[in-house]
Amino acid sequence: MTALTGAVLAQNALSAADLPQIGAPAIEYGTLSPVLAITATALIGVLVEAGAPRRARFGLQSAVAIVGILAALAATVWVSIHDLGKVSFEGTDLLARGKTVAEGALVVDGPTVFLWGLLLVFALVSMLMFAERGLEGGLSGFTGQAAVAPGGAGEREATMAGIEHTEIFPLAMFALLGMMVFPASNDLLTMFVALEVLSLPLYLLCGLARRRRLLSQEAAVKYFLLGAFSSAFFLYGIALVYGYSGSFTLAAIDTAVSNQIAGQNLLLAGMALISVGLLFKVSAVPFQAWTPDVYQGAPTAVTAFMAAGTKVAAFGALLRVFFVGFGGAQWDWRPLMMIVAVLTMVVGAVVLIRQTDVKRMLAYSAIAHSGFILTAFAGAYEGSAGTATITSVSAVMFYLAVYGFSTIGAFAIATLVRDGGGEVGHLARWAGLGRESPVLAGVFALFMLSFAGIPLTAGFMGKWTVFSAAWSGYAWPLVVAGVLTSAVAAYFYVRVIVLMFFADPEGDGPTVAVPSVMTSAVIAVTAAVTIVLGIVPGPVLDLAQNAGTFVR
Amino acid sequence: MSALVVAVLLPGLAGICLALARAVVSARGAAAAGAAVSVLSLICVVASWSARDGAYAGEVDHPWSTALGLHWHLGVDGISLPLVVMTILLCVLVCWSLAADVTSTTDDHEGAGVVLVALVLVIETASLGVFSALDLVLFFIFFELALIPMWFVIARWGDPGGGRLAATRFLMFTVTGSALMLVGFVVIAVTAGTLQIPTLADLPDPLTGTVPLLGGVAIAVGLAVKTPLWPLHIWLPDAHSKAPTVGSVLLAGVFLKLGTYGLLRVFVSVVPEPAARLAPYLGALAVAGIIASCLACLREHDLKRLIAYSSVGHMGFVVLAISTMSEVGVLAAVFASVAHGLITGLLFFNAGWLKQRYGSATFDALGRGLYTRVPRLAVVLLFAATASLGLPGLAGFWGEMLALRSTYEPSPALDRTLAWTLLTLAALGVVLTTAYFVRVVRRVLQGAATPRDDDIDLTRTEAGISAVLAVAIVLLGVAPGLLTGVIEPAVGAIVQVAP
Amino acid sequence: MSLVWPLLLSCALFGIGLYGVLARRNAILMLIGVELMLNAVNLNLVAFDAWWGDALRSGQSLTLFMIAVAAAEIGLGLAIVLGLFRATGSADVDLAVVDTDEQADGAR
Repeated sequence: MTALTGAVLAQNALSAADLPQIGAPAIEYGTLSPVLAITATALIGVLVEAGAPRRARFGLQSAVAIVGILAALAATVWVSIHDLGKVSFEGTDLLARGKTVAEGALVVDGPTVFLWGLLLVFALVSMLMFAERGLEGGLSGFTGQAAVAPGGAGEREATMAGIEHTEIFPLAMFALLGMMVFPASNDLLTMFVALEVLSLPLYLLCGLARRRRLLSQEAAVKYFLLGAFSSAFFLYGIALVYGYSGSFTLAAIDTAVSNQIAGQNLLLAGMALISVGLLFKVSAVPFQAWTPDVYQGAPTAVTAFMAAGTKVAAFGALLRVFFVGFGGAQWDWRPLMMIVAVLTMVVGAVVLIRQTDVKRMLAYSAIAHSGFILTAFAGAYEGSAGTATITSVSAVMFYLAVYGFSTIGAFAIATLVRDGGGEVGHLARWAGLGRESPVLAGVFALFMLSFAGIPLTAGFMGKWTVFSAAWSGYAWPLVVAGVLTSAVAAYFYVRVIVLMFFADPEGDGPTVAVPSVMTSAVIAVTAAVTIVLGIVPGPVLDLAQNAGTFVR
Repeated sequence: MSALVVAVLLPGLAGICLALARAVVSARGAAAAGAAVSVLSLICVVASWSARDGAYAGEVDHPWSTALGLHWHLGVDGISLPLVVMTILLCVLVCWSLAADVTSTTDDHEGAGVVLVALVLVIETASLGVFSALDLVLFFIFFELALIPMWFVIARWGDPGGGRLAATRFLMFTVTGSALMLVGFVVIAVTAGTLQIPTLADLPDPLTGTVPLLGGVAIAVGLAVKTPLWPLHIWLPDAHSKAPTVGSVLLAGVFLKLGTYGLLRVFVSVVPEPAARLAPYLGALAVAGIIASCLACLREHDLKRLIAYSSVGHMGFVVLAISTMSEVGVLAAVFASVAHGLITGLLFFNAGWLKQRYGSATFDALGRGLYTRVPRLAVVLLFAATASLGLPGLAGFWGEMLALRSTYEPSPALDRTLAWTLLTLAALGVVLTTAYFVRVVRRVLQGAATPRDDDIDLTRTEAGISAVLAVAIVLLGVAPGLLTGVIEPAVGAIVQVAP
Repeated sequence: MSLVWPLLLSCALFGIGLYGVLARRNAILMLIGVELMLNAVNLNLVAFDAWWGDALRSGQSLTLFMIAVAAAEIGLGLAIVLGLFRATGSADVDLAVVDTDEQADGAR
């Protein structure tokens, strides 16, 4: 007995000596400050939920969220000034700035910081929409008691008592945290955790609409099941890539891919499965089925946050995984991505034409725009020294900025067009909005024109950049397909404008609710950005271009 | 800031101000302000032209976005100046007609007349921008900018029946066309590495091969929709006939020129080699358009639609001239564009006045014997019709004559046998044009008068507008050197000039 | 043991899970299907980890992470399904895309 124990102990001691020495990890707190600030904000939100009196909670929570985001934004600016030294790799002349942090788990480089800034601004604007209480008689657009059945006595009581779910703010902050870590992950493990941290709160938030709760709950179930389903594919892909390369780190995967160390089948299957998970998040065809239902069912503020934020995070991650990790195998994945891009654009634009609901329309528009962004991605143009031609990474980031602002603005307007039953979804009921409220209809028309890519709106500059990047990467069929589908989509956007300005209203026509300063600010800011990026895209575009390429 | 920038932006800014102040401005006041602003802008153009040094008058070139290689690059040369001046002239006249005639443009809506003036001014800025842009993307931006307000004008102020459908069709055709053109621009920009038109025109080794050819095809198709080139013209008759008078005048006078100017500036000069390969097709389509439009005109019963179809024919002559890719061809294209703008502007004004009087511009509604019923109006119509069919001594003659002359001696791009065949057919088109205008004269102007209560002869404004255009048409007809003298030195910017 | 056996088993598990998600209409059963798929991945990761002899044991680390995350996911998923069950009295989901507005109007 003793001998046996001794033997086991000896064996343990032996293997302990074999193990690598694990020291305390070095964490670059300064460089990670934006992420840490959002983490802290979310945790403070949880504490407020536990400690603050119910009456004060809503105001306090929204204030905490907004202050936290502003702090993180300031930290991001600080990081971009102080921590982005220039790095150039041997053998290439590509410019990259930044470094890996947290023992190689995350990488803070130019694209990361740009995407962080974008995400924080989108979150800030969305939080203003979350905090809007002017439209439902002093209550937010979220259900008062998620636990009780829709339309029952419990719901009425909660409404009468003015009970509100204030957890929405910490939940959104956790989602934002996931979104920020997702494109900054330097290994697949971190990326998976970030994916779940970003998705789980969003699944929950989708089911919290005050009006049409059944639709909202169904949307949440659908989003959750399909999301979990796609995560499983993503993970299976990670496992296969791990089997191929023996590591989760993108740089190590890159080395393995470039050296072709093992059978290619494992790698190809892994890449395909990982792309399923990521393409699901960006709602690319054929993984787009959830998008219209979820966009329609979720509370509009959440839809706006999700549409802009998830897209930024997921495209950031998609670019990083495929450009850094699988860059050596780009001739394997690019043809596939080109097909996905064309399918996404065509399906998005063609189905868009049939839509009769505003939020579903914006959902298909989101799908079509994913296709446009995918053209730049599939172009995979990484630039070369001495030329100023826009790279794929910069084009995607600029397009994300353009699209995010327009889409949040469009959803903000969708919250204002109402009747007795809440928001008016049916497009036919939007007829005559131009007479009811010319300013609102005009701004919505501006967003439509931007989606259609008409010059002097941000959308045009975005389209120019992605198509130019795609062409530079010799993906010319995508450019042709993209331009033609954007003409098809333009037809629909124009029809919406015609409907608002020229059609006769149905019955009394829609009423336009007078929002508080929150939603007004959202609409004003997004409209201003849409115009400014259309007329003076230079600064933001230079920012995107100077972000350089990914640090490996 | 250069005077040219002021000239381009002033009308648009004034239009935006007017639209914002529509509650306090009367439609008449707005139209007067619009005319005044346009005159100011003309003065600015003339000032920057007279102060020119170098190839482009009033040239400004500021980097706009370095990442895209986009420049704020404007300048006017001999090719664009005639079109710029014609655009401003037509806009002044349009504003004048709006100032005098607010009843037909205002309805129950507060400030609608002001908005119409504002839209006209934005269209003016956009067109001036196209004619003076020297950067491909800037060209495209102004090109599209012109579209949206015009679409609004047709949809909102057009005929109640079918106006909106015509407007949508107009928009869809032109948006699709511009989308293709944008593809072409992306191709050219990426292959050549620059967006600046003068640089592209002077590339030491011009773009050749399949990729620029693809780009050239995309650009040509996009512009052909706008020009319009047969068979892409089908949006045009409806858009013209359903549009309000000001819309038709600007469509015919200015919009079609965006297409032909584009063919010269961003097609022939930027991608000369692909253009040369496409020239025979362009020429053949142009002549097909001439013949087809003449045949359509021969059995058309609506004056506005007839004029619209005749525009397709005239644009056919312009494109034929461009397809020769010779010096005379360029000269002819610009001359015929300007002449067509003035003449068809007058024709559409005329048709609009008739439509306003009789509620419709069909021959049945107009009746017969306008000579006796509204003698002065009838004479103006006769004058415009004869100018349009190319009577020597009027502006239209030189346009067509030069176009035919250039087809007789094309550049090597166009096979001579083909060119002469086209020449013969185009000459047949001239005869047919005469035939259908004579038919109009016989059917509407002559004959036993069918008097109606609303037979009102030219008002003072109408007479004024007619006089201005008539003087311009006669002037260019008698002294074409005024225009050719301006154009000729700049022809080298478009095609290689033989030493 | 050859690497092929655990991989085959994992493949089979994943396939069964996939079939479960696609074929079932009950949200709980679909969730179980997803769990099967996740556990297939776990098996895969552990097998690859052992095969590579990874000094950092990163495959096993991810497995631990996945177990934790999957627990959170199930908790949250059950909460969402419970909400739907309270509202409709059933946990059936119809994943067919509803492309009309009747559903929206009906639920108003």
